[in-house]
Amino acid sequence: MFAYNLKLAFKSLNDRPSLTILMVAAIAVGLGLFMTMLTLSHQAGKIPMPHISKQIHLVQLDNREVTADEAENFNQMVDLTYQDTQNLLKLPSAGVEQTLAWNTNGILNVEEQEIQPQRSSVVATNQAFFTMFEVPFLYGEGWDSDADQFSQAVIVLSKKSNDYLFGGINSVGKQVRLNTHVLTVIGVLDDWFLARKFYDRSYYQAWPDQAFIPSNFAFDSDLPRNARFDCWSTTTNPGKFRTNYLTELKTSECAWITFWAKLPNHNLEDYKTQLGQYIDSQKRLGRFPRENQYFLTNINDQLEVISNMIGREQMLGVISYMFFAVCLINAVSILLAKFMRRTKEVSLRRALGAKKRTILQQHLIEVVFIGIIGGLFGILFSYIGLQAMLRVSLYASDYVRTAADLMPYHQMDWEMIMMAFTVSVSCTLLVGLYPIWRICNVSPASQLKAQ
Amino acid sequence: MEIKPIFLSIKHNKAIAMLVIIQVAITLTVLSGSLLMTTSTLKEWNLPSGIPHNNIISAVPEFYDLEVDVRQSLVDDLARIEAITEVINVSPVTQRPFDAQGIQTIYLEASAEAQEYETNIFTGDANLPEVLQLSLIEGRFFREDEIVVGQRDELPAMPPIVMISEAMAKVLFPDNNALGQTIWLEKGAAPAEIIGIYSNFMNGENLNYFGQSYRTILQPLVTWQNRADPSYLIRVEDGMADGLLETIRNQLYKVDGRYVNRVEVLTRTQKRMYDGRGSHAIMLLVISSVLLLITAFGMAGLVSFLVTQRQKQIGTRRALGAKKWDVVRYFMLENGVLTTIGIVIGLVLSIAFAFVLTEDSGVNILDMSYIFATAFFIILVNQLAVYLPAKKAANVAPAIVTRSA
Amino acid sequence: MLKMENVSKIYRTNLIETHALRKVDLHIGAGEFVSVTGPSGSGKTTFLNLAGLLETFEEGDFYLDGQNVKGLNDNQLSELRNEKIGFIFQSFNLLQELPLFDNVDVPLRYRGFNAKERKDRIENALEIVGLSSRMQHLPTQLSGGQQQRVAIARAIAGQPKFLLADEPTGNLDSLMAQQVMELLEKINQQGTTIIMVTHDDQLARRAHRNIQIFDGQVSDLAQDQTDVLIKSE
Repeated sequence: MFAYNLKLAFKSLNDRPSLTILMVAAIAVGLGLFMTMLTLSHQAGKIPMPHISKQIHLVQLDNREVTADEAENFNQMVDLTYQDTQNLLKLPSAGVEQTLAWNTNGILNVEEQEIQPQRSSVVATNQAFFTMFEVPFLYGEGWDSDADQFSQAVIVLSKKSNDYLFGGINSVGKQVRLNTHVLTVIGVLDDWFLARKFYDRSYYQAWPDQAFIPSNFAFDSDLPRNARFDCWSTTTNPGKFRTNYLTELKTSECAWITFWAKLPNHNLEDYKTQLGQYIDSQKRLGRFPRENQYFLTNINDQLEVISNMIGREQMLGVISYMFFAVCLINAVSILLAKFMRRTKEVSLRRALGAKKRTILQQHLIEVVFIGIIGGLFGILFSYIGLQAMLRVSLYASDYVRTAADLMPYHQMDWEMIMMAFTVSVSCTLLVGLYPIWRICNVSPASQLKAQ
Repeated sequence: MEIKPIFLSIKHNKAIAMLVIIQVAITLTVLSGSLLMTTSTLKEWNLPSGIPHNNIISAVPEFYDLEVDVRQSLVDDLARIEAITEVINVSPVTQRPFDAQGIQTIYLEASAEAQEYETNIFTGDANLPEVLQLSLIEGRFFREDEIVVGQRDELPAMPPIVMISEAMAKVLFPDNNALGQTIWLEKGAAPAEIIGIYSNFMNGENLNYFGQSYRTILQPLVTWQNRADPSYLIRVEDGMADGLLETIRNQLYKVDGRYVNRVEVLTRTQKRMYDGRGSHAIMLLVISSVLLLITAFGMAGLVSFLVTQRQKQIGTRRALGAKKWDVVRYFMLENGVLTTIGIVIGLVLSIAFAFVLTEDSGVNILDMSYIFATAFFIILVNQLAVYLPAKKAANVAPAIVTRSA
Repeated sequence: MLKMENVSKIYRTNLIETHALRKVDLHIGAGEFVSVTGPSGSGKTTFLNLAGLLETFEEGDFYLDGQNVKGLNDNQLSELRNEKIGFIFQSFNLLQELPLFDNVDVPLRYRGFNAKERKDRIENALEIVGLSSRMQHLPTQLSGGQQQRVAIARAIAGQPKFLLADEPTGNLDSLMAQQVMELLEKINQQGTTIIMVTHDDQLARRAHRNIQIFDGQVSDLAQDQTDVLIKSE
């Protein structure tokens, strides 16, 4: 019976091939755009370092003035002041790793004349950064605590910078200049893919940093501080701290450094207690005028807040849903028309002894087949769509970002491919339900007498 | 007309009618939403530049070695660049067209509550108007001896004269002649006299976004600050710009302790100014036109199918005296009724969607004329999509009625 | 009223020519009730299509109500059909989605009557066929005989000069067939010319005159005396 129904279903699809093509094309195009947007948001929604992301916490202490607004989540809270980062780093807590990070930039250059200098975005941090975030190394390793303490001139290069400056060789021990400062390469990163660059709270995709240096060295060299300075209102023009007034900045109440703690579950409560005690101790010194408040937010929770903010992609997402809906409606109206023409035939088959089930099976096969073929082509279309979106991103960034960096965000994985098939078949079935229901309820006798 | 039988026929095919209506409604919503977004995105898009941007190179170097003598390197740079045979003219500047950073405010009086006017101030030497090929509308250009040169925070005094663009003049002095008037570039500073008015050129993205693309002021000033030394605008012979980029970059690298960030033809700067908006708008337009195509093809497919289903009916009508045109009209009218119902629902949805978008983007994008235009366009496309299969349907031979069922 | 002179109809495919009708000469006067009989494939349907202006012909002349229809274009033929001819089909050919009222309305719409006139005519026509109480019903709610009566109402509503009936009782049982025939005869008595194609000799004999088609050729038989007797009873 199944074979016979299969035959009938294919005969029907073959009956007016242009209509079948139209249905499949409508579903495929709709699915193509839908999956393109879904894949983008799927990849964008991925969490960096998912195996430890719940342990990595952003640390924020509320040192703001009394009149400041209430903060509901980390995104409305300020980061840390320089003095607080230094104090927290000295907290005696076993099993807790802490790091700080701020952005700077400079011109990386080497002695060789043929290699032109390159403007690079550089992260100023401490030794714990590399172990905490499990940063992969191609050559060498991160610096040690001595380097932090004595602000040694060492640098960790990204793979791409090493390729550019040293042709990809093991450059550990070689000298590189950041502006006029001479630093020794201590490590070279391997490819380090982060779904989002979380550590500077930019949450950027595909904008990797080119080098990492000890924070204290960056202070000593007076490298520019690319940060937002949240200062008390008594400090006018906080933008001046970008390139100047370092001594004033170090003792000010300006919050600008992101601070991270890796807290395995059993350490979380202890750490909270310590933060509370720390704020109290500072209150005795006349700081922290507000209530004792701090934020500890892990990466998952941060992304939750961030992804709730509406962006341009979301608007395209809404459009892609509606687009898919139109395509499905398009397909189903043709399907309905097609099935309804067949009422006479079906009523004859019913009269000749076909069970409802058989009729149902025959039409289900037809609909599922359309769904599968639509899914196949839909995947093809979404591949094309993703490629197009990648080109658009490249174009819109004036080719500053590279295709290689953007690729991971424009790629379908197996999860998405399975998703495409599921969506295609289930949506086709869903919209096919009504036509199938109509055709299955044709009564055996109704259409037999001449009209 | 035959509206009533059409309604009866629609009632008979409720399901399909509903599907068509929903499809039209959503199509209108998506289309008008995209169109509104697109037009608001493309507002002020790709305006005339006012300068021969294909023949102007912008070079943006910076010093990472703070020990370098900037004043000397400036002299050397100019000499090296002018020595290139294809170079016509060069001027050291701090802002480039299409790329003006930030927004400066200027005033017409010194008082504290003076009205603010937004603009972009471009600095340069006496060559700058010639590099940009600006034409003089009134007054005069700067003279060599009027140029003030020096590091920004060590300047003895700001130049006492400025030139302003035609558009700027219109804003500042809508009724009077701007020539000879004074303006304040900074509160509390000395005023500057307007000595000339020149033809408009594009400032940059910030003011362009507010529809103030041509508000500019020229200051006879060659200056630098910390690491960012003056950048250069270089006009070269027609068609030579692309070939000279590498040469100029190499010349600039002859000074040690310097990084040459960007050497590009202003065409590229112009592209960068618009590319984000352009790509977004084009994406929306592509999606919209595909959607429109799908709707049109779907409608044509559906009607051509319904036509074969209704052959006997058409034959009967023909036998009863319907002309071919009557048959075509019947189908077009039927589609027209459904489309119109869909349009009415779609109008409501579109307005709601536009409100949501407005709320999200903070820019009021609701413009009924675009929504109505889209609706009209959808009706047009649908009618066209129906016309062809309906015309075929009209060719059903009336003799079909005498064939037994 | 209807005059064919030397009319021929040839169907051509790539390979063969079929003479569906050969050199038909025929005259039917006003007010006649003519039956057309013949075996399957003899050309009955072709004759009907030509007489009903549903198809065009290649040779000969055809005068309908004094007007030569040869060479008229599609629009002119449509107008003539609408005005002069009423059709009654074996399978009724009612428009399924329209109530009786609107079914009868179809040819009147094409005629361009105003609403008032259409309404009067529709009600009158349905009155004649005895279905005025069911004006708002759909065809599917009626029996076969009733549906055919609706078709008759639709055919006469425009008061055409001719009724062309194609096996009008072919799909009906004998009782209903009887009713339909009586209705047709009543209409004929009021002056409408009727041409009825049938394969039923019994029915054919109820007409004034019987035309036989055999292999595309028409033979005009004198009418049977018995029919006249039956009629006069």
